[in-house]
Amino acid sequence: MSLVDRVRALLGEDAVDVAATRDGVPRVAPGSPDAVALLLGTAREEGWRVRVEGAGTWLPADAPADLALTTRRLDKVPAIEPQDLSATAEAGIGCDLLRQQLADRGTWLALDPPGLAGRTLGSVVATATAGPLRQGFGPVRDHLLGVTFVTGDGRLVQSGGRVMKNVAGYDLTRLAAGGFGAFGVIVLVHLRLRALPRADQTLVLEGSREDLAQVAEDIAAAAVQPAAHELMSPALARRERWMLAVRFAGSAALVSAEEAALRAATGGRFTALRADEAHALWMRAAESFATRPVTFRVGGLPDSSDELIDLLQHQVGDEWVSASPGIGAIRWGGETTVDRLRRLRRTLAGLEVPLTLERAPWPARAAVGHFGAYREGVGPLVAGLRRTFDPGEAFVVAVEGTE
Amino acid sequence: MTDRGGFEGLDSCVHCGFCLQACPTFLATGDESDSPRGRIELMRALETGELAPADPGVALHLDRCLGCRGCEPVCPSGVRYGRGLEAARALLTEHRGVPPLVRAALGVLTGTGDGSRILYALTRLVRATGIPRRLVGWGRIRFAMGMLAATKPQGGGRRWRAVKGGAPATDASTALHRPPPPSPALLFRGCVMDGLFSHVHDATIRTLQVNGYEVREVPPQVCCGALHAHAGLRDEARRLAGTNIAAFGDDDTPIVVNSAGCGAMLKEYGHLVAVGGRGEAFAARVRDVSELLAERGPRPGAPLDVTVAYDPPCHLMHAQGIAGPPERMLGAIPVLRVITLPDAAQCCGSAGLFTLVEPAMSRAVLAPKLASLAAARPQVVATGNPGCLMQLGAGLAAAGVPAAVRHPVELLDESYRAAGYYA
Amino acid sequence: MTGGSLAAALSEIVGARHVRTALPERVTYARDGLPTHRHVPGVVVLPGSRDEVVAVVRLLAALGVPFVPRGAGTGLSGGALADDDAVLLVLTRLNRILAIDPKNRLAVVEPGVVNVRLSAAAAPHGLLYSPDPSSQTACTIGGNVAENSGGPHCLKYGVTANHVLSLEVVLADGRIVQLGSPGGEPWGPDLVGLFVGSEGNFGIATRISVRLLPVPRAIRTLLADFSALRTAGEAVSAVIASGIVPAALEMMDQSCINAVEDSVYAAGYPRDAAAVLLLELDGGREEAVAADAETIAGILRAHGARSVLSAADAKQRERLWQGRKKAFGAMGRLSRDLVVQDAVVPRSALPDVLEAIGRIAAAYGLTVSNVFHAGDGNLHPNISFDGRVPGLKARVDQASGEIMAVCIAAGGTITGEHGIGLDKLRYMPLLFDGDALAAMRAVRRVFDPDERVNPGKVVPVHACREWSGLRIADRGLRIEERGRSLAQSAIDNPQSAIAPRGAR
Repeated sequence: MSLVDRVRALLGEDAVDVAATRDGVPRVAPGSPDAVALLLGTAREEGWRVRVEGAGTWLPADAPADLALTTRRLDKVPAIEPQDLSATAEAGIGCDLLRQQLADRGTWLALDPPGLAGRTLGSVVATATAGPLRQGFGPVRDHLLGVTFVTGDGRLVQSGGRVMKNVAGYDLTRLAAGGFGAFGVIVLVHLRLRALPRADQTLVLEGSREDLAQVAEDIAAAAVQPAAHELMSPALARRERWMLAVRFAGSAALVSAEEAALRAATGGRFTALRADEAHALWMRAAESFATRPVTFRVGGLPDSSDELIDLLQHQVGDEWVSASPGIGAIRWGGETTVDRLRRLRRTLAGLEVPLTLERAPWPARAAVGHFGAYREGVGPLVAGLRRTFDPGEAFVVAVEGTE
Repeated sequence: MTDRGGFEGLDSCVHCGFCLQACPTFLATGDESDSPRGRIELMRALETGELAPADPGVALHLDRCLGCRGCEPVCPSGVRYGRGLEAARALLTEHRGVPPLVRAALGVLTGTGDGSRILYALTRLVRATGIPRRLVGWGRIRFAMGMLAATKPQGGGRRWRAVKGGAPATDASTALHRPPPPSPALLFRGCVMDGLFSHVHDATIRTLQVNGYEVREVPPQVCCGALHAHAGLRDEARRLAGTNIAAFGDDDTPIVVNSAGCGAMLKEYGHLVAVGGRGEAFAARVRDVSELLAERGPRPGAPLDVTVAYDPPCHLMHAQGIAGPPERMLGAIPVLRVITLPDAAQCCGSAGLFTLVEPAMSRAVLAPKLASLAAARPQVVATGNPGCLMQLGAGLAAAGVPAAVRHPVELLDESYRAAGYYA
Repeated sequence: MTGGSLAAALSEIVGARHVRTALPERVTYARDGLPTHRHVPGVVVLPGSRDEVVAVVRLLAALGVPFVPRGAGTGLSGGALADDDAVLLVLTRLNRILAIDPKNRLAVVEPGVVNVRLSAAAAPHGLLYSPDPSSQTACTIGGNVAENSGGPHCLKYGVTANHVLSLEVVLADGRIVQLGSPGGEPWGPDLVGLFVGSEGNFGIATRISVRLLPVPRAIRTLLADFSALRTAGEAVSAVIASGIVPAALEMMDQSCINAVEDSVYAAGYPRDAAAVLLLELDGGREEAVAADAETIAGILRAHGARSVLSAADAKQRERLWQGRKKAFGAMGRLSRDLVVQDAVVPRSALPDVLEAIGRIAAAYGLTVSNVFHAGDGNLHPNISFDGRVPGLKARVDQASGEIMAVCIAAGGTITGEHGIGLDKLRYMPLLFDGDALAAMRAVRRVFDPDERVNPGKVVPVHACREWSGLRIADRGLRIEERGRSLAQSAIDNPQSAIAPRGAR
């Protein structure tokens, strides 16, 4: 029996779309977490190599594989609990649809990941790509109460739960979040929500990067606590010069007080955006990264932000850069080569700064790897964890490069 | 005395560990066996018989307890640690007797041995030569010399001066009202205080007088028995308590004490001598000198230009719960600056005979306090207990920190003298 | 190797003073903050530096001896207990704050640093270490990392895991690994996140880098009192649903209030209240915090608060908080023995769950006192009892089981911050299926293939489904071998501190 026939027998006729992918890999869309488990269990037995896809808008669907497993039919939102500020959503739901459903219930997921609006929740969680709101609301993992994932040998593993605090057993949620699918396919996510902010204000300031770096320091020194505090390159901001965008979200009293503090700390130089302008700014900034072939992130100390951008500029250019100087996180997008990426990662590692390759065409991903240049003792642990969760190496994931 | 001898005081311990950081010996070793919670485990096991008093591992860690009771005021469940410790030590002493060093020290210091008076006189002679001061150091003998030197009145000529032209601050209460007729108070002299700190007794009498007390002597009194009780010699302590209770009579005249250790013990007489409620009645009369003075203000004196680190004795603060009155005493001295050290509430490691019988632990407990004193550089360290005065005096001298040690009442006395109240 | 020679070898590393072999000394380490569990360790060792820890761990690895890391022993799950075939590795002496970096708002500490001391050291820079477990005056940051400790202020600022940036860890075999990066971005998969809360099963964190937060400029502390527990629970839901996130939202019932008010930490809580809520609002802007406090006070009144008091000054605020934080320790006033639970339920379920707990307590004739992190839905029912009464402990255990079942049925979990340890092992299969448990065990074996660090905790091995590379039979054989070699060592040296279970 062919692979396609076998899968059809397992999951039904309509679960497989043979012509869907550009490279001719049959695409399978299981309709439930159990179906995912069944498929991967079979893959383990048959030795199939599986690549995982969401909506296909972020990580290119180009890894060589025997079949492509897409989560797009796992798009239900079983629970939104405004009283508890929690929700449970399947991994294949698009972020835009989820956002709408949450807003209808007065709730908000304080994540603004890069990429197109329809990017799946599972993709955001698996790659731990947080956007500018990471300044005020933390990285992706801080929004997760639990996940359920399917391992490479088809076991459904639940971790965490839907309550606010949970230390029952080891925190496998942390492993799944940002694991780039190396440890399993995320099928279900329990989310920590916030109330939809009553007020949401964005202010911007243009200037030279040096000038804005100083302003960013003034903001930090004045203990202004923005939801986002993002330094954007001119191309990203679609302006002549660099731009510092500051966003406040919360109660009306909080937003107006913070805004006043920002103006006081910076001599009133910021311009407030209208809601539609602000929406367009953040949306464009997020989507721009989906249009460049390569995206990576680096995470340094806040006081090294400026030097790190200098370093990026020198080694790979700084056309598409978005940085949160308050927390030392920087995202880079653009075109570059495998050699440059490898060299940059080595240089950064010498500064104790990790480079995580977020997206790139398969050949570059395979060569550079999402991760690399680990610190002391980490490599064997990662290898051990991969063996644990994917003993048959079913998942085609470029965890580490080939260097 | 209850039938469980004090062990019942430990029953409410739920092992939360909130006492750990309040324990000087735990801070020194980081070892649960040297913590209040660990020792409570040992004491409970002693009571149930799970561990034998003969076990050296039990004795080691109970002996290493300073008895400072710093754990009691932080305990949310109100564990009576001190009571349990005395019960446990009584069991240990029953089994092994009193170590010779402790026995000898008790004899010499507390006046229960022959020739105590002669020895004190000789000691004062040695002290007067100034030789101990020159021998100060960290070894057992040299540290003892430091302790002795610290008892010397006016501490080797390092006196601070009254502010030139300073006058007593106006005292509205005494200016407007005629002072009430003096009320009587009976002085508890104690043994070490009387032998080496008679100048503090003098200062106590004078300052109380200025504040409207008439201090009377009670000749047939004896040692309070604290050192005996800590050494597990409850019967001896009870005997001494009986003598004191008889000596001080049955009326309600306050009994004034200027040694925190004695005061804490005297206030425990109710627990020690439960028969007929006599101990309790006695205990209710006991007042620290700072309490009596604070009740009357005390009357402000003349300014003293001096920086003072106040170090509350454990037996004043933890055992008697007296924190404010000593500060009010110092507050009655204009210009004088009080600095509060972050770890002031922690034991200095003196703890009665502890400094003699557990010198290593005692010095380890003292070390952090000396370090913060060296950094703060006060001119005077004030504390209201003879053991602490000697321990801190010796430690400061050995560490080369140029600060004198004084009983707070000595400072007030000096201020009153400068104000001309004694003229 | 015999116990005597093990102690000698350990003494060579750390000095004889820091190796404890006498029975009384080991007895003092037999419990943690949940004293219903009692296990006397074989040997206690207190290394004084990172290098000594590494040397001790390598020695134990070479000998195949299991060990249990321990901080201050304030844990509430029987997690830091070692059996007499294991070494208890106590980290209280590693208590240095290695660095405070005000510019990057981080600190690097050794594991034995006491939680509250870090905040004290950061205070001159206007910073604090946010996770504030109630035992913060005693517990260590190493222990906090192992348990992923919470605390009242985790409602707004997150638990320990949200504040740990990077870790230096000594694995069971003595290898040193560096997890995470100085800025907190994971380096590869989030191994810091995986390590935090692993209850000592993955190794010993010898260096911990944590995030510091600015001390809030504006604070409002509110005390609301209610005449019924249920009303207080409903008020919690209303506050959460308002969208304002308090820094802390705590509840105490009458039994707890009275225990605290009888203690030196008396805070002025109304003794006639069925429950009080203690709320804190904080932030960088006075006017915003004041406005939020007004809104919240209104919500509380609208939901049945008899009165809402706002702390007048820092002193009163401190008193209100000390009362709350020492409540657990004050439980000894009710009875000499105590078990405490740590379930978390969805916040909207609080009123029903609290009522159910009350019913269970009444049915078993037990005193249950509730003092807990209501804003997180993290319950701490304390059952007070006298263990000397025959059969009472069994009844307490049954009641505990029923309370747990109610919480799980409400969509909750069995522990929010205390950890599984020994105490909650029996509940793990109620929450996780055999695959999830097996996955956890397999992950543990990546860090510690022999399952030698803190053995027997967290994952109930019998409930694990078979997992690739993890055959139950292997484990059985190994244990048998170990048993034989231990028996031999006991014969070699009958006084051996390391002796097979039951030999003493």
